[in-house]
Parts: sequence; structure tokens; C-alpha cells
Amino acid sequence: MGKTALVVDDSPTMRQMVAFTLTKAGFKVVEAEHGKDAVNKASAGPKMDIVVTDLNMPEMDGISLIKELRKMAAFKFTPILMLTTESAIEKKQAGKEAGATGWIVKPFNPEVMLKIIAKVLPA
Amino acid sequence: MSNDFSQFQDAFFEEAGDHLAVVEEGLLALEQHPEDLDLLNKIFRSAHSIKGTSGMFGFNAVAQFTHKMETLLDLLRNGQKVVTPQIADLLLKSTDCLKTLIDAAKSGSPVDDETVQRLTVELASASTAGSQPTAQAPPASATAPAQTGGSQGHVYRIAWTPPDWLFQRGLDPLQIFKELANLGTLSKIAVDTAKLPDLAVMDPEKCYLSWTMKLETVKARQVVDAVFEFVREDSHLVIEEREALGVRREAQDASSTPHPSPRTPDGLEGDPKPLGELLVESGAVSRETLDKALSQQKRVGEILVEQHAVTPEQVDQALQKQKQQESVAQSKKTDTASIRVDTDKIDKLINLVGELVITQSMLSDLGARFEMSQISVLLERMAQLERNTREIQERVMSIRMLPIGTAFSRFPRLVRDLSAKAGKKIQLVLSGEETELDKTVIESIGDPLTHLVRNSADHGLETPEERLDINKPELGTIRLNAFHEGGNICITVEDDGRGLNRDKILAKAVKQGLIGENEKLSDDQIWPLIFKPGFSTAEKVTDVSGRGVGMDVVKRNIEGLGGTVKIKTALGKGTTFTLKLPLTLAIIEGMTVRVGKDTYIVPLLSILESIQPKASAVKTVVGKGELINVRETYLTMIRMYEVFSLQPEYTDPTKAILLILETEGERVAVMVDEILGQQQVVIKSMEQNFRKVAGVAGATILGDGTVGFILDVRGLIEMSRHAAPVAA
Repeated sequence: MGKTALVVDDSPTMRQMVAFTLTKAGFKVVEAEHGKDAVNKASAGPKMDIVVTDLNMPEMDGISLIKELRKMAAFKFTPILMLTTESAIEKKQAGKEAGATGWIVKPFNPEVMLKIIAKVLPA
Repeated sequence: MSNDFSQFQDAFFEEAGDHLAVVEEGLLALEQHPEDLDLLNKIFRSAHSIKGTSGMFGFNAVAQFTHKMETLLDLLRNGQKVVTPQIADLLLKSTDCLKTLIDAAKSGSPVDDETVQRLTVELASASTAGSQPTAQAPPASATAPAQTGGSQGHVYRIAWTPPDWLFQRGLDPLQIFKELANLGTLSKIAVDTAKLPDLAVMDPEKCYLSWTMKLETVKARQVVDAVFEFVREDSHLVIEEREALGVRREAQDASSTPHPSPRTPDGLEGDPKPLGELLVESGAVSRETLDKALSQQKRVGEILVEQHAVTPEQVDQALQKQKQQESVAQSKKTDTASIRVDTDKIDKLINLVGELVITQSMLSDLGARFEMSQISVLLERMAQLERNTREIQERVMSIRMLPIGTAFSRFPRLVRDLSAKAGKKIQLVLSGEETELDKTVIESIGDPLTHLVRNSADHGLETPEERLDINKPELGTIRLNAFHEGGNICITVEDDGRGLNRDKILAKAVKQGLIGENEKLSDDQIWPLIFKPGFSTAEKVTDVSGRGVGMDVVKRNIEGLGGTVKIKTALGKGTTFTLKLPLTLAIIEGMTVRVGKDTYIVPLLSILESIQPKASAVKTVVGKGELINVRETYLTMIRMYEVFSLQPEYTDPTKAILLILETEGERVAVMVDEILGQQQVVIKSMEQNFRKVAGVAGATILGDGTVGFILDVRGLIEMSRHAAPVAA
């Protein structure tokens, strides 16, 4: 596919698992530890085709990250998916208001994750 | 599904360990600063991470339990509940419980189901009491409704008016049409442009369009709904079923649901509920009746004691044995630990290896067409090689180095619990946490340190009343400090308690037959008695310490690491235990010395100085062997060739060299023929390859390929003592 994904999660295990799933599906993956790290990597790095972010993170949480990214010209229309646990319904709303494209429910099934990504990824 | 991810399990356990530490430390700090929101957020995040990640591996018990903790933590951080000591305590206990659950997931160690059950209930009730009902965890049943019937194809008419900010959320209507088209036949797509404003006022980032379309599909309504999952709530969406098609619905329906079937935290396969829980759920008994019944339930040990089948002591012993076996079994399982290394460190290492390769190729290039005139170039290259090797060695060693703070982190909690149990007021002061030492050493000192801290809290410190009586501050202090001293690391455990009681220790030692009734002992000989197996002066055996097991184990463990334990104590003022440990176990800095034709390595740490004495400085004392006068202090002189039965070059001390060595506070002069030089040597164990040899700590391979013995200074002194009467 040759697309680039930005994966943001403060849990290294979770981050690696998302990165692993995406890499296997042919994505080039850029990993970030938290919102601030992600903003830095987003402004410095290659063009991202999709962003997958956790919500609860130190430094800058996922909601603030989505807001920051949406302010950047390169991320205005980029699909941003949030990784949430099923209990965080109110988080979904906050995420949407911040500009999140959609969500992936943790724990996730790799196939389902790829399906959701395919759903929002511009052709 | 988790098969692919099993490779990440180790990483998860390591991460979970870190998170647990964060939660525990955070909760302890929270007791002091209940209002600290940053702290609460940090704790919440860690719990949340454990929950999210454990679910990925199917560790449902962990995920569920953490979820309960997280719910309560969320209420705390949202200010819907305040941190009371009871809540902090509950959360701390829950953290312990979570730890056992994670260990269980890792190594299959047993879990106390009752505790899990009880804490789950307590957490749930703490989360409900006094808070908004809406703040409770959403019921797990809030999942997609089951797909019902409808074994026929469908025709839907869909009218969709998306929100105008559709693009701004990175959503593309085209994607939705494509997905719908994948479900069946999409036709009669019409776009409504009525809302499109004049070009002048149009915002190109907004969506002004709406669509109608017809979809013929065999998929159920839910599947169609799911296509609009991310926009449904914000769109004006009408999906109407028009007419039925006589097509059978395919069985793959369920699997194509674009949502993971949500795990219901309650009904888990292979994890049956305790009977009591089921009874409560079915309404047969109330929660209170169950709790009461559970509290009356007796352990098998208690029942046996009541029936006089066994004595309480026997049960106690068996329990201890069980505990030991459990911990042995667990330590076996968790031995294959991984180490986390900064990529930075690895990058530098790779860099250095690159340099090594360059040096090597330069050397082989030189060797291929070497002439004597190039000798200076050769020496230069060799120096470069030495530098590379040393740097790589240092880097590789630093990979194994961890700050000792990781071993200290368990103590704030320990001291808190101990002080609560013993009814004492204790503050713990930590310092030198950043001091780095080898990972294996860190892992092995945890238990000895714990024992020393327990000992200080239990025996060392007085009760608040006693302290006030003798004009001491009510609050007792235990101080843990770590620092480098030479090539060693020192760790001190210091308390300002009552100090060791000379008479009590002596009386006990005499009673146990460790020393004779009338033996005169100096303080420095008395204190180490507490390290004898089975030695305890505590009048009352508590579950904290005083069982008489431990202090000997402490000493054995530390010595096993090549370290020493020293005691400094003053009656009424306190006791300090000083542990001295090598930074690493694999490599030592040594001085190579020659005795006759043999080469020995003396650990550099033990060498104070080397001298060549005048004939007048050597004295012989009957019964004490030879002494040497070094600046008005007499030291025992040991002729190494005598101890090891070697053929020396010199037998006259004034021609030979005397090394002044120090070990455990004792100084001796050791006579050798010559000092060859200083070098780092890799210790090869004698015990593993041959057997223990007195006076020799290990062996190493020297630069010329021969084997050199590493001197065990302590052992040498012991040997010379036994040989002394003969020599004298």
C-alpha cells in the first residue's frame, strides 16, 4: 500500500501491537509516545495517511492531540482514529467534537482494526 | 486472534510491572496529597493501560479487575468522590491483588479467589456509594442488538444528509458509498445540491450535499447501519426497507459485522463464578448473608486444629513450607527476564562496533604487507583496538546497569504497612536512588534489603510511647542510602531506634551454645552473632520478623554476591547495616603478581599499598607468626608461597614485595615476588568448572593464554591462620 500511519500510545506494548498489525498490512509506521511527541513527529515527519491514537496519555492526551492535528494544514482532512475502551462512550463524543474520524475499540481484533482503517482511508 | 500478539506478552508483563509500581507509588503519595490531580491522572492512566493491554491478550480476569479499579479512580479524578484513607487503602490492596492476578497470567501462580471477589465487591460499592448513578460503568450489555431473523434479501432506500463538518473529521462520503456498494447493489444515487450556497460564500471545507440511494443486499439492517457508524449520530439518516427479495441470507453475515463482538466482562468462558456469587445473582441469598457466611468459612488448617488432629505449630510450619515452595516455583518461572535498553545505548554500541570493524580491517591490511618500519603504525593501531575494546566493554556493561531506585521502590509501601501493623510511626528516607549497578545484583538484593528494613521497623525502632519517654522524636526514621565507594556500591539501612543490645545478644548466644559462658568478646565480634542461623532475640515472634530465619539468609545472600555486611550500632541511638557489593559480578579490576613462576591476580579493591620492608621492620612473635611494622602498625605477614606451597624466587622479605591488603576491616601484608601490572580480568568460576579451592576466588585467562588464579583475600587470611603455628 505504501501508506504511512502515525501510531500514538503511551503503552509501548499496545503501540507495538498496533504498529505490528499495520506494518503487516503494508503500512510504514511512525510511533509516538504521547500527544506532544506525536505533534512533533507529525510536523517533522513524512506525510501521514492515517493517525491511530490512544486517548489517555501523559504530556498531551488524545483529544488535545486531535485538536492540534486538525489545526495543521497537512492533517486537516487526514483520517484520525481513536483507540478507546468500550466504556468510554463520552470520550467518543469528545473525540468527534475534536475532529476524530472514528474509533477502534480496545481490545481490538487486528482484522477488525484493518477493516475500520480501510473504511476511512482515502483511496 | 491473539496468536499474532503472543510475542508481545513479555513486553506487556514488563510494562504492567512498571504500571503497577506507578500506581502503588502514586497511591502512597496520594495519601499525603489527596488533592493532587496530576497524581490521580497518572495513576488512572497506568490502570487504564493495564486494562486496555491485558484485554488484548485475553487476560480477562486482569482486565475486569482493573476495570473496577479504574471506575473508582475515574470518580476520584473527576472529583465525584474524594480520596479518603479507606479508599486509598482499598486501592492499595486492590493493587496487590492485581499484582497476583498479573502474576497468575504470567506464570500460572495461584490466586486467592476470595480476595479478588471481596475486593471486586468493595471496589464496586465504593464506586457507587454517594456518586451519581450515571457515573457507574456502563452496563456491558450495551452492545449491538442480536441479529434477528430475516432470512431474505432486502431493498433499502437510504437518505443521508451528513453533518456539514464531515470533511473536517477526515471523513469522505465516497468511502461510505464504496462500502455500501460492497454490501450489494447500490443504485439510483441522487445528490441534492439545494443547500449549496453561492461560490462567493461557500466554505470549501464544508459539506453542503445530501444523497438518496437504493441498496439491494442480503445483509441485515445492522450491517448497513454499521457503515454509517462514525457519522450516524450527527447525520440526518433515514434507512427504510422497501420490499423483500426472496434471497436467503448468507451465513457469513455475523462475521462481516464491522465491529468486534464486544467482550462482555461478565459472562466469561472457562471462568465460572463462585457459587456464592451465583446465589446472590439469582436472589437466593443477599450479599450480606453471603459475606457473613464467607467470613465464617474456615481454612482446613483451622478445622484440623480444632479436631486436635494437628497442632497449630504443625499447621504453621506446613504453611511456611507451602509459601517457600510457591516462591521457589515462581522464581524458577520468572528467571528468564528481559532487560529494557534505551535505543540510544544500542545506537552507540553499534557505532562502536563499527569502529572496531574499521580498526580490525586496518590491522589485517597492515598485517598483509607488514614491514618492520611500520612498527609504530602497528602500535598505534593496537592502542586504537584497546580503546575500542574498552569502550565496547563499558557500553555493554552499562546495558546491564540499572538505577538502584528500582530495588528501593518497594519500600515506601512496605514501611507504610509495617508501621500500621506495629503501631509505630515511621518515616522512610531514600537517597542515592540513581546509583547504578548490575541488574543481577539489583534483583538479588531486594530480599536481603527487605529483611533489613523489616528488622529495623520491627526490632530497631521503639514504639511512639517509648520514644517520647526517652526524649526522642515520636517519628522514627529508617534511612536507605546507596552510593559508590571505589569500585563497590554501598547500601546502608539505618534506623534511629534502640540499637543492638549487647547483653541480650550475649545471653542468647551463650544459651544457644554459639559462644562459651565466659568468653570475652569485643563489640565487633558480638554484633555478627545476629547473623548466625536461628538467632533471634525477639521475645515475641511476630509475623513481621523474629522467626529467627532471615538475618543468616541476609548475610549468605550478600556474600553470595561477593559482598559484605557490616553493623554499626549504638545503644539507644540506632543501628546501621552497611552492605558493600561489587558493581558487577563478571569483571574485576586486578593486579597481576608473580610468585615464582605462577601468576596470581589480586583484586585491586583490596590493595592498599605495596612496600619493600627493611629487615628491621620484620618481627616474629611466638604464636602469631611474622609481623611487619608499617608506619608503627604491626600487620600479620603472609608468605604466599608458603600458603600455596610454591617455589618462590625470594624468601627474604626485604628483597620481595609486600602487598598491604584489606578485607572486612582487617589488614595483612602478603609477600609476592613481583608486581606485573594492572588489568581487568573476567572471572571464571572455579566451582562451576572444578570445585571450590581455598584461597582462590576464581580463575581467569591471562593475556598469554595461561590460566591465572584470582586471590580470595579473606580465604588467604583464614588459611594462613591455620598454618600460623607451623610457620612460627
